[in-house]
Amino acid sequence: MNTKLKVSEISKIYPGCIANDKVSLEFGSGKIYALLGENGAGKSTLVKILSGVVKPDSGEVFLNNESIKLNSPLDAKKNNIGMVFQHFNLFETLSVFENLSMDSDKTNEDLRVLVNDILKKYNFKINLDVPVLNLSAGQKQKVEIIRCLIRNPKILIMDEPTSVLTEQETDDLFISLKQFSKDGILIIYITHKLKEVLSLCDEVAVMRKGKVVSVSNTTDEKIESLANKMVGENLNTIKKKINNFKNSEEILKVSNLNFKSDDPYETNLNDLNLSLKKGECLGIAGISGNGQNELFQILSGEIITEGTSIMFRNKEIGKLNPRERREYLMAFSPEDRIAQAAVPELKIYENVALNNFKSSNFFEKGLVNEKKIKEHSKKILSNFSVNTDNVELKSQFLSGGNLQKLIIGRELITSPELLVCFNPTWGLDVGAINYIHETLIQINEQGKSSILISTDNDELLKLSDRICVIYKGKLSKIMNADNVTAEKLGILMGGGSID
Amino acid sequence: MIKIEKRNDVSQSIYFLTPILAIFLTLFGGGIIFYILGFNPIEALKFFFITPISDLYGLSELLVKATPLCLIAIGLSFCFKSNNWNIGAEGQLVFGGIVGGGVALLFYNHDGFYVLPIIILSGAIGGMLFAMIPAILKTYFNTNEILVSLMLVYVAKLLLDYLVVGPWSNPEGFNFPETRQFSESARMPILFDGLRIHTGIFITLITVFLSWLILYKTYLGFQIKVSGLSLKTAKYAGYKGKTMIIIVFMISGACAGLAGVGEITGPIGQLHRNISPDYGFTAIIVAFLGRLNPVGIIFASLIVALTYLGAETAQIFLQVPKYTGQVFQGMILFFLLGSDYLLFFKIKFLGLKKNEL
Repeated sequence: MNTKLKVSEISKIYPGCIANDKVSLEFGSGKIYALLGENGAGKSTLVKILSGVVKPDSGEVFLNNESIKLNSPLDAKKNNIGMVFQHFNLFETLSVFENLSMDSDKTNEDLRVLVNDILKKYNFKINLDVPVLNLSAGQKQKVEIIRCLIRNPKILIMDEPTSVLTEQETDDLFISLKQFSKDGILIIYITHKLKEVLSLCDEVAVMRKGKVVSVSNTTDEKIESLANKMVGENLNTIKKKINNFKNSEEILKVSNLNFKSDDPYETNLNDLNLSLKKGECLGIAGISGNGQNELFQILSGEIITEGTSIMFRNKEIGKLNPRERREYLMAFSPEDRIAQAAVPELKIYENVALNNFKSSNFFEKGLVNEKKIKEHSKKILSNFSVNTDNVELKSQFLSGGNLQKLIIGRELITSPELLVCFNPTWGLDVGAINYIHETLIQINEQGKSSILISTDNDELLKLSDRICVIYKGKLSKIMNADNVTAEKLGILMGGGSID
Repeated sequence: MIKIEKRNDVSQSIYFLTPILAIFLTLFGGGIIFYILGFNPIEALKFFFITPISDLYGLSELLVKATPLCLIAIGLSFCFKSNNWNIGAEGQLVFGGIVGGGVALLFYNHDGFYVLPIIILSGAIGGMLFAMIPAILKTYFNTNEILVSLMLVYVAKLLLDYLVVGPWSNPEGFNFPETRQFSESARMPILFDGLRIHTGIFITLITVFLSWLILYKTYLGFQIKVSGLSLKTAKYAGYKGKTMIIIVFMISGACAGLAGVGEITGPIGQLHRNISPDYGFTAIIVAFLGRLNPVGIIFASLIVALTYLGAETAQIFLQVPKYTGQVFQGMILFFLLGSDYLLFFKIKFLGLKKNEL
């Protein structure tokens, strides 16, 4: 049976931004369609409209030439549209089977037969009776997919499904998706990863600023051509010159670092060792949740350890808090820029005052020196091309990119010897990402060191001099970046070993 | 279908105007209650809110009641601004009263300019130490400060009860549950003959000014503000979270202790069972009605003090119980929280479409 899905002239306007601007697209079963675009291009809005989460301001959706109304996720289910979101909607403490049965009106016996059929057909290996929290990200995603398959979907929408997967899990997923497609399910695959589009999909629609800018067969496209369409400008790709730091001064040494948490949702760190030379960028790769958060907090001083386990320029700093570490010219840019690195309700200059160290004179004799802080803030805004010059503006009104520039600017304007940053570019648009990357390369050129903890492998390969992988709280051996490929990283990130 | 959405930006002026709206709504609600009880609402509200302050004595009484309320509320604002929920100001007030009163009793046959300052200081220290109990338990044992501070209120009250009935009761007092009268030099000087308004008001005003200075002009104030908005950020900035919890509790407790000692050396002049008509609890309303802002708290304390006075007049002229005062305090808080909700969230009514039914 053929399924045809057509969206016609869909528009959705949010205050201050047109998320979808007269989007028209046609899909037919038997093919895998890619919906490609940067963050904020309007992909997610379109997907939310198709799954009934958001209602369009105008436009219609046709299923097999009949206009359908999608007022709620239930309507989407009724029309056999299945959706797997980027973030899993599973009850961690319930078993796989309980999660599946919750969403189904079949009897448990019938459901078990059905699920076992699906497992056999697609060669999924999942134990139905273990709690979901024991599953890997890839397995959890399979549970989500099975949940859709139970309903015999005609259409399956996958929203950035590989962001939490290892390379191997991604390969498995692609095999399954191709099989679904062969079985007549129409697949719409949302992503911003170009390689995936080319290896998996048959047709690709590129969105930019709420509009569909191109629809084409993937056989006619190359990575460069898609990237240009997606970004809308020819990117001058920056690549760092890799240096040899054998004879440089050692600036940071972490030895035998252990961390044991009382919180079961945190990751314990096991015997970490690393060292960093002056002017060097050390990249730490890994799938999120493998101890990056804990490692960042230990480096920044939010978690305190034994004094000798972290030596910075031959001084024990393991016991110092973040403010004290700043006095030694360390700087930190945390992952959560909205709720941790800055406070949205505070004005820009107040957020700047968070990075306080003695020589800044922000607070003289315990009093606030507002004039000094504001002057300093103005300097940051102009030096780091933040899109405003009003230091009284509350930082909640800055876009993600501008906020990150402000934070990086705040950390760098003091010319620290070491910058530790954690996913500095997540959720930013390509322009802002390029700016941040250039800045990070610049500080290395000025002889300052950096540690880049990131889940974005392209970023790591682009910026690092040496790279290692964190997996379940343990570091892999540290490799020179020129010997590292995305494949090697993928193996290590999934817990495998190389050589 | 009703949908509730967070508002993106809330205008600063409306933020400070909603408490006034809440007060008007309270008057309106109070009018309805009086109407149901069979009174002419306008007349009754006049008895409640105008009559008590229509003469000098009334105005002086207003300030006498507002003095401790304002003082406690300003202390609480340090805690509340930094996300520490000190609910036990009443206990800190009573304990400050006990310590200050104990010192006053030591000096009962002494005269001298030094007596009163020593009593005031010991009262403040008493409140401060008492407030440190929930603070230390919170920082080192992760207890919930709401529960601990609240339960300590009853500890302090029962201790006061025991003292005034037992060891500290007046030897010439015919077994009344009260202590001796304090000596003249242990009393707050009266400002005007015939009125009860006393020098404690200056302590309150100085405290308000100092608090404004600390909260808005110092590093400590900045740290309190950041911790209140985001503990994660405070940790990232390297603020000493534990020390700060203890400091804000100390400030808050000292203010409540000062209020307690101000009461016993001011209008009361001795220790007895009821040295506070729940000022410590009512001050929580004052703090929020004043938006945790020093100037706002001054106005809020005057308004809430008026409900105490109004309740007394209403009891005399309308024969309604004096607990009406608490009804009004409750209504103020209710309407304030209600209008705050509407201030930060908007409610959208979406019509039901036929095909959804």
